[in-house]
Amino acid sequence: MSTAEISKILYVEDDPDIQVVAKMALETVGGYTLCVCSSGQEALDHGEEFAPDLILLDVMMPEMDGPTTLVNLRTISALEQTPAVFMTAKVMPSDVERYKELGAVDVIAKPFDPMALASRIQEIWSECRGG
Amino acid sequence: MADEAPSMEEKLAQLRAQYAVKIQEQVHQLDLLLKNLPHASDIERQDIFAKIRDATHKLAGSGATFGFPDVTVHARSMEQACIAVLDTNGDAGQGIEDTLKQHCDQLRDAVGVEDQNAMQSHVDVARPPAPQLHGSSRLTVLIVMEYDDATAAQTHLEMDHFGFNSRIIDHPSKLINDIQTNGPVDAIIAGLVFDDDEKATLKVLEEFRKDEQNHAIPIVVHTALDSIESRLGAVRIGVKAYLLKPVDMADMVDVLDHVTQHHEDEPFRVLVIDDDESLARHTEIVLQSAGMSTEIVTDPMELFRALDNFSPELILLDLYMPGCNGQEIAAIVRQREEYAGIPIVFLSGESDKDKQLLAMELGGDDFLTKPIRASHLISSVRIRASRFRKLRSFMARDSMTGLFNHTTTKQLLDNEVARVQRINGTMALAALDIDHFKKVNDNYGHAVGDRVIKALARLLRQRLRSADVIGRMGGEEFAAILPDSDLDQAKQVFNQVREAFSNIVFHTGDQSFGATFSCGVAAFPHSGTATELSDAADKALYVAKRNGRNQVVKAESALD
Repeated sequence: MSTAEISKILYVEDDPDIQVVAKMALETVGGYTLCVCSSGQEALDHGEEFAPDLILLDVMMPEMDGPTTLVNLRTISALEQTPAVFMTAKVMPSDVERYKELGAVDVIAKPFDPMALASRIQEIWSECRGG
Repeated sequence: MADEAPSMEEKLAQLRAQYAVKIQEQVHQLDLLLKNLPHASDIERQDIFAKIRDATHKLAGSGATFGFPDVTVHARSMEQACIAVLDTNGDAGQGIEDTLKQHCDQLRDAVGVEDQNAMQSHVDVARPPAPQLHGSSRLTVLIVMEYDDATAAQTHLEMDHFGFNSRIIDHPSKLINDIQTNGPVDAIIAGLVFDDDEKATLKVLEEFRKDEQNHAIPIVVHTALDSIESRLGAVRIGVKAYLLKPVDMADMVDVLDHVTQHHEDEPFRVLVIDDDESLARHTEIVLQSAGMSTEIVTDPMELFRALDNFSPELILLDLYMPGCNGQEIAAIVRQREEYAGIPIVFLSGESDKDKQLLAMELGGDDFLTKPIRASHLISSVRIRASRFRKLRSFMARDSMTGLFNHTTTKQLLDNEVARVQRINGTMALAALDIDHFKKVNDNYGHAVGDRVIKALARLLRQRLRSADVIGRMGGEEFAAILPDSDLDQAKQVFNQVREAFSNIVFHTGDQSFGATFSCGVAAFPHSGTATELSDAADKALYVAKRNGRNQVVKAESALD
């Protein structure tokens, strides 16, 4: 990860409504480039080619959930080290610990504020690069 | 980034409205699941709880994102209840069904209440791009002091029709607190008598005025109390107007417009042409000290650039310059049609009256001899520049309403049609006509009729965007040109205006009445030329009249 700036985000979310808001929040407000995937499988199909700076995953998804998707993405060597962030409506401290063990650098609670999402991502990015 | 923020908010408001509709469907599904619970077998019950858990999990995770925090709260309660039941293999017993039902009802209420808000914001968003008001970019905010709830509600409503956002307080003692809590206001409408105390308001306002920050807020007294003491008290705290109840809302609005408008007009733009830069700078400093905006040209060849970029309202010209002299420059300026009327004032050391007159013959309006006292220079420039400005606006505008006149509106329509033809854009034209206006004049007199016309003019200014052109085409007829709008958007906008206008109550003597207007809208490219647009809008207006008035009709249905 030699790039100092975050520009490309691989975003995995099954709920189309949330997809639209998050896409807007990250593209319009944050100015990031997004690859939006509606399932874990889609993320696995596009992840390598897109070569994201950061991976943003919803936890609860049908078929392949977020944590499983991340484990699978990590098998792609280009994505082995890419910082990952989970989004979840269930923010029990024990869960947060588990997600971090899976290699997530942080967890964003749902529901999120669309106007603040981009700056939250930026914050997490700066933190994980600084640390 | 700053430019994008509002469009983001608009989009969010739209999504919010769509989401509101979806939630209702989901609440309905939850309802069905809950109704099935009592008849379900144990295994089926587990399945239902799991379904509710998943559905509410989603709602909890999205509600507040779309601006429905209560949805998140109640959905989360339902999700947790379901998780608890599933963890104990359904041992939670009968109580669970009531709990879920309760939360589901609250969820529905949350949507219902929020939904109205959402629809409201959706309507606002659906107006044509950038719902910016004509003239000012925001509503004027007022505080109205009124102890009588019904009067307060009525005032609030009527003010709203005129585009004023009002906050009501029922006692003057709440004024300072309200401003601290809810932010500054543009004006205060103050009743005087509270709890039989005729000094109640004046005492508070006196205190209020002591704070520097509150000095600039105009206060309008609105009271039934008419005594020298109260009027004197009002004058002493610097109220802008003293209105005796009952006041016609249109009059109140006129007063409010007057006191809330910022009267420091745009500064006069003066072009100073002098080859001696230090002299030009001196003139500039004098004029700027009087609040005028100036630009200096020291090389006469720079003249056209300055005319085009600065569009001056007066030219101050040195008579003798190398290259070409002041008279020649004046003649060149006059050759350009748009500057044929601009005042040109010579400023020179030339004291020979004959030579001065010769210069005037070639296009100068006045001759000032250097050295000149600063105050003379300022007033000479100001008088001519303001006359020029007024003249120009008389030529373009209707004197009663300040809207564009018939000729100018037609001209602007031609320009706009040419523009959309060039860029393949869209625009809409609306033709409006006040219903049964002759009856208003016959029944209440022309002065009252004029008030109705002014009220509509004001409302149109208030509700349309600054890019829209509003014209008074004569009598009770109006027209509006809406760039970048289609038929449906135009219809929606004018329906809002129509609604607001029909809600205004006019008072005269002890009578009160309402007025309505009919409107036809046409749009480019459906109608392809200025003439076709005018005809189509007029035809649609005719249909609106024939169908019973007080309505907006689109041109396409008029053609069918």
